[in-house]
Amino acid sequence: MSRVTLRTGAPQWSPDEKPIEDPIPFIPNHILGELVSLLLTFAVLIVLASLLPAGLESEADPLTTPEHVKPEWYFLAVYQFLKLVPEVLGVLAPVVAGLALTLLPFLDREPRRNPRRRPLAMALLAAALVAWIGLTIWGKLS
Amino acid sequence: MTDRTSVTSADLNPADSAGAAGIAAGGVRGWLDERFGLGEALLRALRKPVPRHARTWSYCLGGLTFFAFIVQVVTGILLAMYYKPTPENAYDSVLFVMNRVPFGWLIRSMHVWSAHLMIVTLFGHLIRVLVTGSYKPPRELNWVAGMLLLVVTLAFGFTGYLLPWDQRAFWATVVGTESANSVPVVGPAILHLLRGGPEVTDLTLTRFYAIHVLVLPAVMVVLLLLHFVMIRRQGISGPL
Repeated sequence: MSRVTLRTGAPQWSPDEKPIEDPIPFIPNHILGELVSLLLTFAVLIVLASLLPAGLESEADPLTTPEHVKPEWYFLAVYQFLKLVPEVLGVLAPVVAGLALTLLPFLDREPRRNPRRRPLAMALLAAALVAWIGLTIWGKLS
Repeated sequence: MTDRTSVTSADLNPADSAGAAGIAAGGVRGWLDERFGLGEALLRALRKPVPRHARTWSYCLGGLTFFAFIVQVVTGILLAMYYKPTPENAYDSVLFVMNRVPFGWLIRSMHVWSAHLMIVTLFGHLIRVLVTGSYKPPRELNWVAGMLLLVVTLAFGFTGYLLPWDQRAFWATVVGTESANSVPVVGPAILHLLRGGPEVTDLTLTRFYAIHVLVLPAVMVVLLLLHFVMIRRQGISGPL
């Protein structure tokens, strides 16, 4: 992989990166913008917590299995996947997928970063998202 | 908001102008600077130039994930002051928080909602980094740190879910840990390790509590520091 060196002398790793122009200081300018998004988020949290407070079912009873046992929404896709495929595949596939995603920078050797120049990567991402959301909804409804 | 549109040379090299005065300055800053000599380095760190393309909502998601974690730390400490991690007392202590502790219901509800939010912004941040290809060289290791932060966050969710010790919590943990059993060869050992025995019992509860409030926060803080230091050293990935 060749690295392009710009006039500034800073190494540029990706061929489609533009030079950084006219940056702003972290404090106060950037942090003020961050603070606005942070306070809005905090407001949303308080409203949600007030209108929809955390629930509590009856106390745990190891002798009574409830009819529907489902995990939190972010585990629903894996939960549904486990129901669809053989056991061993069901537990190993998410682990292998997670490992592959962790090692992505070492597997994906394409130096360009612009999403418009990486149609295959973007198509794979879209497919993965559709599969994940689909399994989540399926797990929720099943 | 006063908008200083660009970084001046004084921001980047404080020693040029204000810095020289800063070293001789009195007050708290001067006192600290005489002892630690951090003034210039600190000013440089605080004035770090941020590229304009990074000032859009999709670049806020990582910071918001961190903010959600701070909310978790504060509300989590408050909950830990009332929570009792035994099967006899756990459920009643949560009821006490919800019904008797002033604003206890709000603290617990915010802990739950902030957990949801943290997962949402974390996945949003992950997708943004994938789309802008920011995981590519030279930021490979920061991507790995980010993936480890994802694993720690999911582990936070999984262990925290058991703590209220209601029917949903108990049986979700029974089913969730059960799936580890399907792993070839080491599955039963993992199941035993997760539950602290063959069944979900008081040992599972204390185990999950210890992991939730001691192990994961420590790992999280170390990974966050690495994540942030790497961002500072390598800068935000350039505009496209």
